Amino acid sequence: MLETQLRFEGALKTRQQGNGDYSFYLSLLLLLMTAFIYTPSSFAQEKFSVSAKNSQVTFAGVHVGMQFSGVFDKWNADIVLPPAASPQILATFYVASAKTGDSTYDSTLPEGDWFDVENHPKSIFESSQIVAKDKDYAVTGTLTLRGISQPVAFLLKNNETTLTASFTIDRLAYNIGMESDPDAEWVNKEIKMTLTLQKQ
Amino acid sequence: MFVSGLYMVNADISKADQYKLFQIHKAAGVVMLWTLFVRVCVRIFTYAPELPIEFSKSDKKKAKAGHILLYIAVVVMPLSGWLMVSASPFGLPTFVFVDWIKWPHIPGVARNKMIETIANNIHWITASILGFLIIGHIGAVIWHRNKHGVNLLDRMWWSKTKR
Repeated sequence: MLETQLRFEGALKTRQQGNGDYSFYLSLLLLLMTAFIYTPSSFAQEKFSVSAKNSQVTFAGVHVGMQFSGVFDKWNADIVLPPAASPQILATFYVASAKTGDSTYDSTLPEGDWFDVENHPKSIFESSQIVAKDKDYAVTGTLTLRGISQPVAFLLKNNETTLTASFTIDRLAYNIGMESDPDAEWVNKEIKMTLTLQKQ
Repeated sequence: MFVSGLYMVNADISKADQYKLFQIHKAAGVVMLWTLFVRVCVRIFTYAPELPIEFSKSDKKKAKAGHILLYIAVVVMPLSGWLMVSASPFGLPTFVFVDWIKWPHIPGVARNKMIETIANNIHWITASILGFLIIGHIGAVIWHRNKHGVNLLDRMWWSKTKR
């Protein structure tokens, strides 16, 4: 923004010298307009809601040595980031909406031993602390899946139009697939979560 | 089915290949089950040729017994496989080669380790017996051809020669 301003001022000077008052006011008007347009982005929005409509939460893992990944089709989150007074992230996931595109996985995931969607249709993430770190945010909180709460921490990266994060959870800590594969002989226990949240 | 079954259980292959082979074996098993259903219907509702007159009484008895055993074995094979898959602790579904044909599990046995073990044993023991029965069956066809000079394949296949 500073650069644009400088450029404008440069243009301003040459025009002043060349064409007189008329272009001076025009340039001033343009400068004011650009200042107006650029203002909102200089104060990053601190409060917003995201959902599957504009953002993405994916999970990925390895089954018998083969990569798989999926998305949650139904979830929503309310986000308040520093420097707001009480920063918080509260997200609700409907685990039945997890889709991998593989019919075997998609019909197994909702079952009792995996997501157990019948008894635990919702998964909740609630932050306990959000600290601004350079231009990013260090987030710690609790993820509840299958009724089991575990601490998670991740760095929410502040990009131009998105907030992104990726972190790993241990499926066995949530008793996911505990009966089918407790030793992670078939499905790796590390599940990589990736968040891509649209800033509004 | 014999080869894929033995291979997927015993061969030193990657987990991914083993998993894929299991899914193919399961899908093929469902096709086998339906084929057998059709076969049994054909056997019940249509005419089966008499055994050749060249056969002695005891030959006929042995042939009948062999055929009954063959039928039992080939029916037990897919059914025990189906039971094993239904009771498996993995609870993986069976898709018959395409995503839109999902073969159901037998209800009431989900994740039942004991039933899975029993079905597993029935599956491989019957497979071994069936192996011998098939060898015996083919052997008998060759033996009768040499001893009685009858071509038994005529009574198995569509044949225009009336017996």
